[in-house]
Amino acid sequence: MEQYIKDFDKVLKKQRALETNDPLDRLIAIVNKAKEDIRADPSAANTSLAVLGKSFKSVSNTISEEQKELQSSVTKYSKALDKKFTADAMAAINPHAFDNKEQILRKTIALHYIRQGNFEVGDMFAKAKMFDIVAALKNNDLGPALEWATRHRNELEKRSSTLEYKLHRQRYLQLVESQQTNEAIAYAKQIGYFGTRHKREVQRLMGCLMFIGRIHKSPYADLFAPNASDDIQHMFTRDYCSLIGLSQESPLYVSLTVGTQAMPTMIKMATIMKAKRTEWSQQSELPVEINLTDDTKFHSIFACPVSKEQATEENPPMMMTCGHVICKESLQKLCRGINSHRFKCPYCPQESMASQAKNVYF
Amino acid sequence: MNKLNHDQLLSLEHPFVKIPVEKFRSSLRTSQKHIEKEIGNLTDKISEISKKSVQGSMEPSQVEAALEAIVNRLSTLKRKLKDIRADEVLYSQRTKVRLQHLQDFATIQTLDSDEYARWSRVRLNRIVIDYMLRDGFRGPAALLAKSEHIEDFVDIELFAQSAKVEEALERQSCAECLQWCKENNSNLKKIKSTLEFSLREQEFIELARERRSQEAIAYAKKHLTPWQETHMKEISHVMGLLAFPPETKCHPYKRLYDKSRWNDLIAQFRSNNFALQFFTPEPLLNVTLQAGLSSLKTPMCYQPEHRNANCPVCDPETLGALAMDLPLSHHFNSSIVCRISGQIMNEDNLPMALPNGYVYSYNALTEMASLNDGKVTCPRTGAVFNLTDVKKVFIS
Ligand SMILES: [Zn+2]
Repeated sequence: MEQYIKDFDKVLKKQRALETNDPLDRLIAIVNKAKEDIRADPSAANTSLAVLGKSFKSVSNTISEEQKELQSSVTKYSKALDKKFTADAMAAINPHAFDNKEQILRKTIALHYIRQGNFEVGDMFAKAKMFDIVAALKNNDLGPALEWATRHRNELEKRSSTLEYKLHRQRYLQLVESQQTNEAIAYAKQIGYFGTRHKREVQRLMGCLMFIGRIHKSPYADLFAPNASDDIQHMFTRDYCSLIGLSQESPLYVSLTVGTQAMPTMIKMATIMKAKRTEWSQQSELPVEINLTDDTKFHSIFACPVSKEQATEENPPMMMTCGHVICKESLQKLCRGINSHRFKCPYCPQESMASQAKNVYF
Repeated sequence: MNKLNHDQLLSLEHPFVKIPVEKFRSSLRTSQKHIEKEIGNLTDKISEISKKSVQGSMEPSQVEAALEAIVNRLSTLKRKLKDIRADEVLYSQRTKVRLQHLQDFATIQTLDSDEYARWSRVRLNRIVIDYMLRDGFRGPAALLAKSEHIEDFVDIELFAQSAKVEEALERQSCAECLQWCKENNSNLKKIKSTLEFSLREQEFIELARERRSQEAIAYAKKHLTPWQETHMKEISHVMGLLAFPPETKCHPYKRLYDKSRWNDLIAQFRSNNFALQFFTPEPLLNVTLQAGLSSLKTPMCYQPEHRNANCPVCDPETLGALAMDLPLSHHFNSSIVCRISGQIMNEDNLPMALPNGYVYSYNALTEMASLNDGKVTCPRTGAVFNLTDVKKVFIS
């Protein structure tokens, strides 16, 4: 990679040289010079013109060469890129796998940006129910979010979410900040519900009432953090996603990150399969194993260490008395079909019978 | 496992660098053309002045004025080149920034580092923007590029011109696209494009549809005959339209009159445009997503009792639906995930079997037991056992 950067820097240097020493300025200069010479000595006009003709030609040749040289170095560079970046991603594509699923893909993308907190992008890209609440939050309108949080109080509390409290608190602080004393006092009742769980902070919140008008110079100034509104948005989307069963990490992010890592293998596989006139995307199962990082393994996979086959309902994993697990079919082979036949575990010296083996569920 | 294979991943980045380099190259070519043409003219002009001056048909004062005119023309050329030069700088700088981004990638060590996660997120945004642009959502694409500060990593402006052509085709007007063909004539020839012929065919079809036969014949003479060597069969087909009204059910005329041909033209223009600008024919998002979904897909993803909220494929509404027709992943090696904690079970966190055969991780079971007087509850069956009754499981 470094070599490619160095090579491109050479191209850039040539470009800059052309830029600082504009070839047209050079031409303009020599024509102007001839003009002045003729004005100074009209009798030598023919000589001056002959000189001009020659130098104009030679300068324009130089210009043309410089320009061509830069151009050919870019062309060469562009060709060199083809050698470095060789993977043809399109080898691995099935152009029809997502046919008629454009809406689903758009929705997935939109949800991704909502979780990222980039609501504007998500919002412009697709419409969903959560967007309106978030849009209101962005305008400092806590109403819709509060309405939602109150409706889901039980579920939120089960997740020990403090969203509802935080929303009420924010509303109350808005009133304090805008010096609506009576409204703030009236609103304090709403906060009472959370009095036991957030005792100390609720006391401080009430204390704010003493400083209305100069709250930012009071001991409670810290309650008015500048990014409190961002935090609430983030908290809201996180809780919203969790409540409607959305995952911790963006599914689009997970899928694309796994996909990027898998691409080189997929391209190789797809190219080999194309040569045999088959399509990887038409198979029921990939012919190669794609290794996943631990954080992207979501389901237990049991591959029998004896047969290398993946366990299925018909061929479930069985644990022998020694604790080693193999698939049922392998077990049947080891005991030669006789459940009371004693055999040695392939992985330790212990002997047992197939009848003693137990189904395990991962 | 967590080590990065830089070369393999970098080799996927061809369009990322190729696109700006090629734009750089084509701007250089344009300025070169302008310069050569004008300078050629001016060289001739100077020798003409010289000749006239020698013959005495031009006074020194007239020569001066003529030279002044040449200076003016050079200045005009300079102004004209300014925009093209600005493009040259834009695309060469863009190339540089992108190369640097790839260089940064080359220094990342492992897949589980923060740097890789960040790089991965940028890559996601890049390919999503590419997808949005192809999908016609230029507004969100621009907004996203701006908010993620990756304007130099995407090629939004390159879609502005093509959008105009596509809009025109949607309005059933070929003129803009024909103009585009003219501007890109030599490159289209290189990729053996037949777009221009398809457009000519369509204009002829529209004349035939309106039964303007005289005009249609004149049009065919002028615009279809140049293609007769390679497209004689198609030409005779469309000429046949003159004998058949638009309502015809007769093959192949019914198909030729079909308005859906306009969609085919849009598709043909798109693929030509992508090829010319070194964009991949299909969005990178799709192919990457297909690779990722297939790698993640297991039979369990479609069984509600095995659903894992963190698994992308397990969501039947979104990615699960997209993965529906893709192959399942394949494994020669076991990896066992704890259904309580989501953690991988291995030597550091052994799998333990309850007496009912259900397996959970050591960490999850001991934590549960410590909160419940040494008892554990199987979350899938509700059965309760003593921690002392669980048994180590060995997965080889
Ligand atoms: Zn799944």
